[in-house]
Amino acid sequence: MVHHHHHYHCKEKRPKFCINDHVDVLAEILKRLDGRSLCLAACVCRLWSALARTDSVWEHLCFRHLSPPPPSSVRPVVSALGGHRRLYMVCIRPVLGRLGPSRSAELPWRVRSREELQLSLSLFCVDYYERLGSGSSGGGRFGDGSATAPSSLMFLCKPVNV
Amino acid sequence: MGPFDFAAAAAAASSSSSSSGSAPKHPPDLDGLLAGAGYKVRSSELHHVAQRLERLETAMVNSASHIPHLASDAVHYNPSDLASWVDSMLSELPHSSSLPSGFPDPYPTALGCGWLDPCAPQPHQNVVVPQQQQQQLTVVAALEEDSGIRLVHALMTCAESVQRGDSSLARSLVEEMQALLARVNTSCGIGKVAGYFIDALSRRLLGLGSAPAWTYENEVLYHHFYEACPYLKFAHFTANQAILEAFDGHDCVHVIDFNLMHGLQWPALIQALALRAGGPPLLRLTGIGPPSPDGRDTLRQIGLRLKELARSVNVQFTFRGVVASRLEDVKPWMLPVSPKEAVAVNSIMQLHKLLGSDPNRDPPIGSVLPWIRSLNPKIMTVVEQEASHNQTGFLDRFTEALYYYSTLFDSLEAACPVQPDKALAEMYLQREICNIVCCEGTARLERHEPLDKWRARLGEAGFTPLNLGSNAFKQASMLLTLFSAEGYSVEENEGCLTLGWHSRPLIAASAWQAVPSVVNSPTGVINPNDNNNQL
Repeated sequence: MVHHHHHYHCKEKRPKFCINDHVDVLAEILKRLDGRSLCLAACVCRLWSALARTDSVWEHLCFRHLSPPPPSSVRPVVSALGGHRRLYMVCIRPVLGRLGPSRSAELPWRVRSREELQLSLSLFCVDYYERLGSGSSGGGRFGDGSATAPSSLMFLCKPVNV
Repeated sequence: MGPFDFAAAAAAASSSSSSSGSAPKHPPDLDGLLAGAGYKVRSSELHHVAQRLERLETAMVNSASHIPHLASDAVHYNPSDLASWVDSMLSELPHSSSLPSGFPDPYPTALGCGWLDPCAPQPHQNVVVPQQQQQQLTVVAALEEDSGIRLVHALMTCAESVQRGDSSLARSLVEEMQALLARVNTSCGIGKVAGYFIDALSRRLLGLGSAPAWTYENEVLYHHFYEACPYLKFAHFTANQAILEAFDGHDCVHVIDFNLMHGLQWPALIQALALRAGGPPLLRLTGIGPPSPDGRDTLRQIGLRLKELARSVNVQFTFRGVVASRLEDVKPWMLPVSPKEAVAVNSIMQLHKLLGSDPNRDPPIGSVLPWIRSLNPKIMTVVEQEASHNQTGFLDRFTEALYYYSTLFDSLEAACPVQPDKALAEMYLQREICNIVCCEGTARLERHEPLDKWRARLGEAGFTPLNLGSNAFKQASMLLTLFSAEGYSVEENEGCLTLGWHSRPLIAASAWQAVPSVVNSPTGVINPNDNNNQL
């Protein structure tokens, strides 16, 4: 205790370490979190919130297990269709949840595979297309007067009967 | 609650009805089906007899030691008079008196009272004797299942009488069935499907051949059917995979969609083309669709949406819409194709509509398939219902349809889609049912044929099959695991893929390549007889 006290007085000139001063390190750390933790991190402070919302962090999360990593052409496509965060929330997380340990591994898709990536992207594209439609001014999605939210991916939100 | 074994029930019903065709008519108050088996029971007494048979069975099980004396000592009535026979048997057995005389009859005889749900608490159960409760529950469940089976038998008999032209019998059977329906749970299972078929039969008998005024546009129902169950998604994804593989290496590609609807199939293809190795090709899409009832140019709107999506992912895209209420109205000159581009023809559940037979003309498919060939497509993807609903005999068609749609409704039930998807998806199927049962001639469009017949037909028209490949199979399997119900199965069938429910295939996807028959020689002479495979 006395030693500490003495040490504290000697420390005046040395600045305290604050992670927020090292944004690149912070970004590297955030990249390795899972989706839920990333959302929690976004609630900490404005800097963390801004970082946690950058698409590159979510891109890392989406394709973390994909080996080899996806081709560079994927990034602009995903960005155009709504970004990696939306891709994760709407397609990848539910897909992984369904194809996860509760299913017997008849086909080797525990680790994310190209096929899973492709399927997620296709579903993501359908989702984007439906949102395009609901945003139109023609009186609702398909002109039937009811402005329903895109529901093509609703089946992914339903509980699984295991 | 599982799918009823319609094949067996139908076979039994049709064999008994065909065998009694020449037998003398039975008195109307006797149940016809039991009479065919040799038992005379009044229709009004059926459930009493069933109830007593249950009691007899329970009593015999409980008093096994007393049975031998029944065989040797007792005098019994003729068992063909089932009602009095079972009464006499019951009076013989000592344990039949263990059921209290004040036993309330939970099975109301008056028609029109709803059945007690076997799982709901029974209101007039005063005596809490577990064994009794169990007996009651099993009898209620057995009687409800019995009602379901009776409904199926009645449907078969009605269809058979329609085929014979006996409209009065058919009408009375329809009334009887509507009464039976009140005693069956119509929110799921056999009750629901039977309801639709009874409705369709009554429409047919009333002469309301064409579909009634539907409140919802077909496109809306189609969309909800798309979302409620995996069949259409399977169709789209499998076709897209085949088209993607066929377009490999081509820089100009052209897709012709026989039924654009909302164009839900194409975003995934556009995205896959955007990401393919070597960059996206120039994509042209020609969408065929019916004119929209309120004069909106739906095709153009869909085209604009697809164009916007394509632009977002940097795929060069042009769209052309062709308005036609029937596929046979489309003429080849409406679909200009360039020889430099790879053409894909996509038909999701459209070809069967061309099989309609006007007795004076050949079915339109005979003229449509050749012009498809003349487009020289690199691939034609065909998805069709895996069912035999185009048979000439009404009874056969009806039976097949009952089995098929029951399986389909079962799968919808189990997938538990959200409302309103499920209700509207069911309406979508209801339209198909109505068309199959009520309509004839050119009005009957839903002429589903199984894969084997399509293979033969397309083979004769000069198409060779293309294997769908393992990628398509893997993708389809993956797609299925995303759905919450465990009963779906994807199977491979000689290069084609089928999606089914509990090993009954319901929808089949296949891919075809045209053998080119018309060759433009450099001098401009067209030789239609040149069947060599010159590519």
